[in-house]
Amino acid sequence: METSEKTSRIKVVTSGIIPFVFVVLMVAYIFGPGADLLDLGVPLPELTIEKIAFEKSEIHVTVRNTGPLPVQVVMADVNDRIHPAAIEPDKFLNRYETALVRIPFEWNEAEPYTIGLTTDDGTRFERNIDAAAPALQMNFEFVVFFAIIGTYVGIIPVMIGLLWLPFIKKISKSKYHFFLALTVGLLLFLGIDSIEEAFDVSLENLGGSFNDVLLIATTVVLSFLGLYYVSEKLTGRADSLRISKPVVIGLMIAIGIGLHNFGEGLAIGAAVGLGSIAFSTFLIVGFALHNTTEGLAIAAPMSRGKLMIGKLITMGIIAGAPAIFGAWVGGFAFSPFSSVVFLSIGAGAIFQVIVIILKWIREEGDKNLSSAAVAAGFATGMFVMYATSILI
Amino acid sequence: MIFTRSTLMVLLLTVTFGVSFALLSPIFTDAQLEQKTFVTHSGRVIETSGEVLDPVYTVSTVDFDPDEFLRNFEYGRISISDNGQTIRDYTIIAEDDKVQEISPGVFFNVWTFNGTVPGPTIRATEGDLVRIHFINNGSKSHTMHFHGIHPAEMDGVFEIVGGNGGQFTYEFEAGPVGVHPYHCHVMPLEEHIVHGLYGVFIVDPKEGRPPADELVMVLNGFDTDFDTENNFYAANTIPFYYQHHPIQINTDQLIRIYVVNMVEFDPINNFHLHGNLYQYYPTGTDLVPSFYTDMITLSQTERGIMEFQYDYPGKYLFHAHKVEFSEKGWVGLFLVKDNSTSEAYYGN
Repeated sequence: METSEKTSRIKVVTSGIIPFVFVVLMVAYIFGPGADLLDLGVPLPELTIEKIAFEKSEIHVTVRNTGPLPVQVVMADVNDRIHPAAIEPDKFLNRYETALVRIPFEWNEAEPYTIGLTTDDGTRFERNIDAAAPALQMNFEFVVFFAIIGTYVGIIPVMIGLLWLPFIKKISKSKYHFFLALTVGLLLFLGIDSIEEAFDVSLENLGGSFNDVLLIATTVVLSFLGLYYVSEKLTGRADSLRISKPVVIGLMIAIGIGLHNFGEGLAIGAAVGLGSIAFSTFLIVGFALHNTTEGLAIAAPMSRGKLMIGKLITMGIIAGAPAIFGAWVGGFAFSPFSSVVFLSIGAGAIFQVIVIILKWIREEGDKNLSSAAVAAGFATGMFVMYATSILI
Repeated sequence: MIFTRSTLMVLLLTVTFGVSFALLSPIFTDAQLEQKTFVTHSGRVIETSGEVLDPVYTVSTVDFDPDEFLRNFEYGRISISDNGQTIRDYTIIAEDDKVQEISPGVFFNVWTFNGTVPGPTIRATEGDLVRIHFINNGSKSHTMHFHGIHPAEMDGVFEIVGGNGGQFTYEFEAGPVGVHPYHCHVMPLEEHIVHGLYGVFIVDPKEGRPPADELVMVLNGFDTDFDTENNFYAANTIPFYYQHHPIQINTDQLIRIYVVNMVEFDPINNFHLHGNLYQYYPTGTDLVPSFYTDMITLSQTERGIMEFQYDYPGKYLFHAHKVEFSEKGWVGLFLVKDNSTSEAYYGN
């Protein structure tokens, strides 16, 4: 008996391994005897200038090799005029490796610049900056500045939105469903918005070799699955952890919105960092108005539990405070790749929250998602978000 | 079961974040601790822990030596015909498979006459019989087309010389007096010129010119990314070369420059000399100068002879006053030494 079990197990393992052996053979063939098959076309070098910072008397250019070949960066130019420069740590860039090019240059504030880098085969890659602005120094003043902006954009509006709680508490069931559906509409809009923002950032800053569409799709799905799993676990154990289901849902919404607000903070920090001051003013005011609706999203499910001021405030902070961190990261350490990843995680988180609320409405509303209240709420949510987004 | 599921989830998340993190954090390999320095346009000294990218001021050399080309003239294998005419035989080999460093670190497929861009400076006296044994070792067809006076069948336009060993002998009497370009004239012409198939042909007057320190400068450019705009400009191929290798000349000595503009794509080029003016002989065909100036404008293959001497020792710039060209390499320095302390150099 035992031996037969053993043999069957070995059989299972073997049958699992055999395809792998063929995969290895297949790959070995194409790199070995079948290498001629791969000898098609000419691979071209590719550099992506990810970031340009205007430091004192120097322009700092972050470059990444996004092509299929190792390359050497051999020359730098400003406005298509050759300048002496340095590259750190060295000029040899393997695939996906980055380097910092320092070009000593007495740049003028608010003037446009084009930065070019030339590789060893004479190909020049360039990037434009609309208006030069001094790179933000990570000093106390700016840290406080971004903290205040983040609070203004993230925490305060969310807290204001939470003030709708007593109102929602007092309304009828169908009106309550209207507000829950409204939340779904708001969140769906935010999710789409985050994905769009991720595409913008990757188009502007990332090389095509990152497969931006698939990077974003994969991150969104993984984030969705991860949070979905965690929230199911939390909901399942809600009783034993002595927290109520509305609180769990509120918490998940707060986390989702927090990730989204991190993205908003990034956008603001990056805009200030790039010197688009007028643009960032609009961002700040627009996001602030926009985010009051996020408070409502948290308040709606929480209104059916006991009133817990402390928990509510905590959730407001969970949802709002990431805007501060986002502003810090965006302003001081902007990295396009991490921004795309964070924005995608945020989108996944939001979609996960949408699924949870829809489930909640279905359970609450006699297994019905097609009531007039729900449809109207959903539509209103999308529309309100669109209307406020125009302000940005 | 729950345990395995959550383990799997944790594993999946760890892998995801691990991979993201690895991609996010820049990879620093073999950080060098040794500091290197370079100077900026304004003379500031910059330190770096990395590598210096500076074709402008940092002394560097590549395969081609512009200093050697500057004062090199090929007079050919000389023989005298029965009627007393000087015959100058040259062998010129065309190739189109070389990849040369045309600026520090930048490698470009150059097409060459005798292995260099520009090709050798061919020099003869008016009335000499010039005989060029042309061998095309390239993979494409090439020819040699001389500016000057010669029979139609010696023009290098219709007598296409096939690659992989094709041959042709160009034979004509040197003339008129002056400085002329020669270049390949196979279509597409622009492609053959911008890859480097050109050189200088000097015809001296029978009575000669006054002794001088003679220099050849071919103003050229390279479009290394094939967007029909030059990425580099230079006097004698290598950008900024004479900036970090100043041309040494002496005070009170006649300097004669044979200058030929071979820049393509840009309609004009020009030549500005600092701290001095020069006598200018357009195309060098007349022995009386046409201008006394510090600035000439040159169209494609426009050329001439410049003569000047410096009264004061020191460093003097010469460059395109189309400043874009000078900031992409067409700039250099004369280091003028006091004649009383050094030996005069006489070319020719």
